[in-house]
Amino acid sequence: MSEPNDFENFLRRVATLVFWLLLLVPVIIFPIAFFGSLFIPKQILEFLFHSSEPNILFVLINKAQNPFLAITEVNDFLGLGPCVPAFSYIPPPNCSPTFFRIVVFPGFTFVALITLWLGWYERKLVAKIHMRYGPLYAGRISGVLQPIADLLKLLFKEIIVPAKADKPFFVAVPLLTMGISAALLAVIPLSERVFIIPPESASLGLLVLFAILGFYPIIILMGAWASSNKFSFIGGLRALHQLVSYEIPWFLSVLGVVVLTSSLDPFQVVRAQSNIWFIVPQFIGAFVFLTAAMAELERIPFDLPEADTEIVFGWLTEYTGMNWGILFGLAPFIKLYVFSGLFTLLFLGGWLGFASLPPEIWFLLKTFIVINVIMLVRVFNPRIRVDLLIRFGWVYLILLAVANLFLAVALKALGVF
Amino acid sequence: MLPVGQSLPFPIEVISGDRLSISIGPQHPGSGHFRIIVVLEGDIVAEAIPDAGYVHRGAEKLCEFRHFVQNIPLLERTTLPDANGIIFPYVLAVEELMGIQAPQRAQYLRIIAAELNRIVSHLYWLGIYGPFLGHTTMFMWPMGDRELFMDLIQTIGGTRVTPSYIIPGGVRNDVPDYFKDQALKAIKYFERRLKEYDKLFFSNPLVLKRTQGVGVLNRSDAVALGITGPNLRGSGLKSDTRKDETYSMYDTVDFDVPSYPDGDCWARNMVRFYELYWSMQIIKQAIEKMPSGPFRSRLPLLTARAPPGEVVARTEAARGCMSYYVVSDGSSKPYRVRVSVPSFRNIIGIPHLLKGGHLADVPAIYWSLDYWPVEADK
Amino acid sequence: MSASPTVEQGLADAVKARFGEKVVEVKSKPTRVKISVDRAILADVAYFIRDNLSFDHLVSVDGTDYPKDNVIELIYHVTSIEKQEQRKYILSLATKLPRDAPISPSLVSVWPAAEYHERETFEMLGIEFTGHPKLEKLLLPEDWLDIPPLRKDFKLPGR
Repeated sequence: MSEPNDFENFLRRVATLVFWLLLLVPVIIFPIAFFGSLFIPKQILEFLFHSSEPNILFVLINKAQNPFLAITEVNDFLGLGPCVPAFSYIPPPNCSPTFFRIVVFPGFTFVALITLWLGWYERKLVAKIHMRYGPLYAGRISGVLQPIADLLKLLFKEIIVPAKADKPFFVAVPLLTMGISAALLAVIPLSERVFIIPPESASLGLLVLFAILGFYPIIILMGAWASSNKFSFIGGLRALHQLVSYEIPWFLSVLGVVVLTSSLDPFQVVRAQSNIWFIVPQFIGAFVFLTAAMAELERIPFDLPEADTEIVFGWLTEYTGMNWGILFGLAPFIKLYVFSGLFTLLFLGGWLGFASLPPEIWFLLKTFIVINVIMLVRVFNPRIRVDLLIRFGWVYLILLAVANLFLAVALKALGVF
Repeated sequence: MLPVGQSLPFPIEVISGDRLSISIGPQHPGSGHFRIIVVLEGDIVAEAIPDAGYVHRGAEKLCEFRHFVQNIPLLERTTLPDANGIIFPYVLAVEELMGIQAPQRAQYLRIIAAELNRIVSHLYWLGIYGPFLGHTTMFMWPMGDRELFMDLIQTIGGTRVTPSYIIPGGVRNDVPDYFKDQALKAIKYFERRLKEYDKLFFSNPLVLKRTQGVGVLNRSDAVALGITGPNLRGSGLKSDTRKDETYSMYDTVDFDVPSYPDGDCWARNMVRFYELYWSMQIIKQAIEKMPSGPFRSRLPLLTARAPPGEVVARTEAARGCMSYYVVSDGSSKPYRVRVSVPSFRNIIGIPHLLKGGHLADVPAIYWSLDYWPVEADK
Repeated sequence: MSASPTVEQGLADAVKARFGEKVVEVKSKPTRVKISVDRAILADVAYFIRDNLSFDHLVSVDGTDYPKDNVIELIYHVTSIEKQEQRKYILSLATKLPRDAPISPSLVSVWPAAEYHERETFEMLGIEFTGHPKLEKLLLPEDWLDIPPLRKDFKLPGR
């Protein structure tokens, strides 16, 4: 390890200073300010805070109900409004602020935590079928802290960029993958009350999914080509074939549901299932969706872009450390959650269920069951071969999806839905 | 290092037109310690050149500097999963040179040791075949069940992998009393498990699609190319050294030799699957039929001399017919030991079968030939 | 040697009847027959053994260095697969090559299995096989500059 130079020392000190400021200022300065403000004359208060409440503490508490409101107030005070649009505030009780929704719940942080423990769950489930233990030591009870251990380990590993690789693309690919997986999250609501895109503006939700998903093959090809490795190249081409071939039957199966409900809005789709879940009239579509989803997720039996006994590790060969952690451990599981959530919304009735449990819990429970089904297929099957894959996707799945579409149109024309 | 101006004798980085040459090389998750240079046109293999010799240790030359008995641990280490099977013909050759005859109990114990090693080797093969096709459960189950049989080998031989159990004159030690119960329990458990293997892997539709019609070796090619072992039996020839040229009391136990006429990967896999079953039957019968008596005719001296002569001896190891040609010139060290390993005889199957297949078939075909690089490199 | 003709005796007699005095010596024991021939008729005897006696499955190719007699003995061990009653016999076809110019015709056209065996014998003993499709090193490293290792004058360090 070389000695830290002066610039690193400077950065370290600045970071420490900011940290302590953020910690101490609310704890010490704000109480002093609040109580001191009781003794400040009224005109000055009005000038500063645009309000003539006698008890400035009350005003400030109202405007600082959560940290995000407080930051909003600070922005307002400093005149920075238009520069930070994510902090804008929509009045309760419909939803919490957008920033909160995107970042914390039901957005990125929530899903990231779920995916961390989905990784643990998959390892345990597969291990039980393999007659072994799975993660056992990290964390007292059956290795629950294993994902944290893996995360810390990956953060400390060196990120090797090959000498002949195309550096900007090589480094950008994990971030783009993560970005797309996270962007897909915006369309999946958890219930009528918990969502990221509100119902008023969600009229094209399902189309947005298809549009964003179309980026994925290009990014994979970028990553494979930028690695400048023969095996990565072969893996990237296989990934391109696979993902492009299976997007079509996937969207055709979604179209079946769209025809039945005449809208692309996820909220409308769930509301239309209050009589019967769509898995009953659209069982072919459900099967096609699940198979095409497994192919889009590059899970066994469709994991031939990463076939490690044929092409070392496919297009992910040259990615190490946290690059690999994002590409292989985080983004695929987020996509798994998205696809399972979509399946639940389209075919399993979304958040509808007995009123004894809140609808968010119903949604998460059904999504969990779908994730289990997808994980179990992995245990019993080997990998498929490229020509069999393409024949299956273009011939059989598209035929089934088109048949499903005819069924949906027939049901709609007969007035059943 | 190479002298200046001299290039490697085979092409590696030649890319002309649509051809891409990749090296499924020693550092590859799908190769073992062996390199196959695969020239691809799109997804089809145009040419496959095996490049053996990565773990060549000169075992044949080293054998000439050691006494006859000292060669047993040396030669065992060329084939670790099948140690007893590798050393069996060498011991038969040395016994014929020296004029020793092993007692009957020792011959039955040799059968038990060889068949246990056959089961262990086939389970190792199966445990690697799963991941080569992408089937991770088929890595854990055979490797886990293999432990039972490794424990049995440890019970009779002393160590799990290279027990050096078969020696000229008999076997090294007798079995303890609890061996019979342990063996019968393991066999009963594993016979049940074979049905589960069948349901999970050998009858799995995706596995069938990937192995049927892939890497077809027809009957006349198999004979002309010198292919041996389950690969030969998977091409329709019911040829097994245990039946063709019986040795060591194999004619007193009752077993069948499986063979399939298809010649593709599926046929070779099924031959090995049924060999697992029949090996267990042989072990059960050998335990019943084993007479009591001495297990060793006499302890061979380290410097025992063999009269001048030459012997060709062969047995059926797990991977095929293993044969030795031992020449003695009257001293206590062999003059020449020629080891003819089944994997080396099967290496010609690799360029012959891989040509014209997909890239994804390369691990499926290569491992269905059960090529063990360490053994072939001696 | 028993009074009634054994199968081994029959095989040896068939070869001797065809090739007469060019067959140098024949040794036979139960299930093993060794026929030594002159280098010039090696290919013809091989074709005869394969076609007429139906020994079609090559077991191994061996070379042994005898510096005292100044020869290298080259042996082809073959067995029979298609003819079931002959499966237990191994016929060893041997020839003696002079040690300073060991050249022998390649038998790849007779038994295609010989391709890799002959390559190994070439690199280990220095025997040159004329007519071999690809006579290169197989097991030894590409930059091996020493004498062929299985010759008796190749000394292992420390022995």
